[in-house]
Amino acid sequence: MIELFGVSKHFANETAVDGISLQIKRGELCVLVGTSGCGKSTTLRMINRLIEHDAGEIHLDGQPVRSFNEVALRRRIGYVIQSTGLFPHWTVARNIGLVPRLLKWPKAQISERVEALMQLLGLPLAEFADKYPHQLSGGQAQRVGVARALAADPDILLMDEPFAALDPLTRQGLQREMIELHARLNKTIVFVTHDMDEALTLADRLVVMDQGRIVQQGTPVELLREPATPFVESLLGGLDRGLKEAALIQVKERMLPFGPRLLASERIAETAPLSQALSVMLWHQVERLTVVDAEDIPVGELSLRRLLGVTAA
Amino acid sequence: MKQPGRLSLNTWLVPLGWLGLLLVLAATMPYLESLFRVIEPDMREVIYRRAGFFTLLAQHVMVVAIASLLAVILGVGAAIAVTRPAGRDFLPLVSQLASIGQTFPPVAVLALAVPALGFGTLPIIVALLLYGLLPIVRNTLAAIDDIDPGLRESALGMGMTAGQVLRQVELPLAAPVILAGIRTSVTINIATAALGATIGASNLGDPIIAGIVNSNTAYIVQGALLIGLLALTVDSAFERLASAPST
Repeated sequence: MIELFGVSKHFANETAVDGISLQIKRGELCVLVGTSGCGKSTTLRMINRLIEHDAGEIHLDGQPVRSFNEVALRRRIGYVIQSTGLFPHWTVARNIGLVPRLLKWPKAQISERVEALMQLLGLPLAEFADKYPHQLSGGQAQRVGVARALAADPDILLMDEPFAALDPLTRQGLQREMIELHARLNKTIVFVTHDMDEALTLADRLVVMDQGRIVQQGTPVELLREPATPFVESLLGGLDRGLKEAALIQVKERMLPFGPRLLASERIAETAPLSQALSVMLWHQVERLTVVDAEDIPVGELSLRRLLGVTAA
Repeated sequence: MKQPGRLSLNTWLVPLGWLGLLLVLAATMPYLESLFRVIEPDMREVIYRRAGFFTLLAQHVMVVAIASLLAVILGVGAAIAVTRPAGRDFLPLVSQLASIGQTFPPVAVLALAVPALGFGTLPIIVALLLYGLLPIVRNTLAAIDDIDPGLRESALGMGMTAGQVLRQVELPLAAPVILAGIRTSVTINIATAALGATIGASNLGDPIIAGIVNSNTAYIVQGALLIGLLALTVDSAFERLASAPST
């Protein structure tokens, strides 16, 4: 659990973070989102004390972060940045084993851990262990970055725009992997991004920041439904909000479990987002889709009315 | 992985070859009288005999080694110090001082050093030290400055101490450029050290100065040959070092 109480940070005569209070629960994936210069990265770095806060208190599991030795504190917190920060003169395996080595784990345990993490992140050991960072694609390098951050099994993961430099396809792939990883490992993750779509995709809870303050926080759907200010509304895409919300809802949440009706001509996976279902309807000019499960077996039906949430019928 | 055995031996052969040539020439110089006679047929003496060539070579190497070692310690040390958060304020000062050191002609440094330090080896060491600092300081500063700030940030963020970041990240990454600076500095100093002969520090500059004073080209050639070979030996050794795989 991470708690911020009235935390501020000033640089020279500029206020980067202005008295923010925030609670991030254990196991939560909390996304700080806002335009550049809104203080989100500063907030993140104050948690692992790469930047010291000027005022207020930051607590980790009820203890002020200042009460920890800063080096020991950072070794308990995973940290991933946009440029990956992988050491170019070290192999992938050595990079991943960094924190366990700093913590003086026995050698055998380190290599075992590195192996497990490479497997978890989909980096075949034989192929990647002895590669150097410059031999990796952007997506692979960031996977190694995430593996390195997870190496000492920290409870908390801080991620500063980790996917911002990647192409959209790779980014979406990694976002999906992040969601799976988070579900599997149950880490507390604080994720900073300026990309609202990324924020909506990943977040259990969204924290919108502007000019060093928190403007609004809540679940993605709460924010989409009730943006607190015009700023939040514009950040959420204004009139596109409907589509963004539809992207967060899976088809199976709205479908009619299969009744004795004729199969529709077009199919949609039950785990697909509603936005995709809508797109299929628009494209084929149909009002009814057959919903199928992972094995392509029909399990239900989605009508336009149901998709729109007009469930009275 | 590369096979270190034969490959590394092959490249070390170049500096070793130059070294062999240097030693052989230093040993056989007195017996090459007939050869130098060709250059100076009218001189009474064509082989420099006031001191043995090995003695001169050893003194030359010693002066350069001491000056370079001090320059490396001071130069790399100062550059590291001013790139730490605590020393940042001194960065412009140090890089300017090092530039000024280079604009000073070594002869001028000698002229100024003699009244303060007397004749002999000490002033030439001081002059070489000052003169050799710039390439080292400049390259070390540039190399450290060139390191992606993201590396430093992630290194600290992962929980490395400042010392660990320096030793395990910054220095290994900066090493090739720092080494190039040291190479420039040492090679220049091998040539410049010959000036020491003008203020009584006896080294391979002696035959050259004596040759100039007595209009004896043979002396000049003898000193210059050995200095040239020494410079080639050291320079090729650095080249070998630079191409060595760094962990």
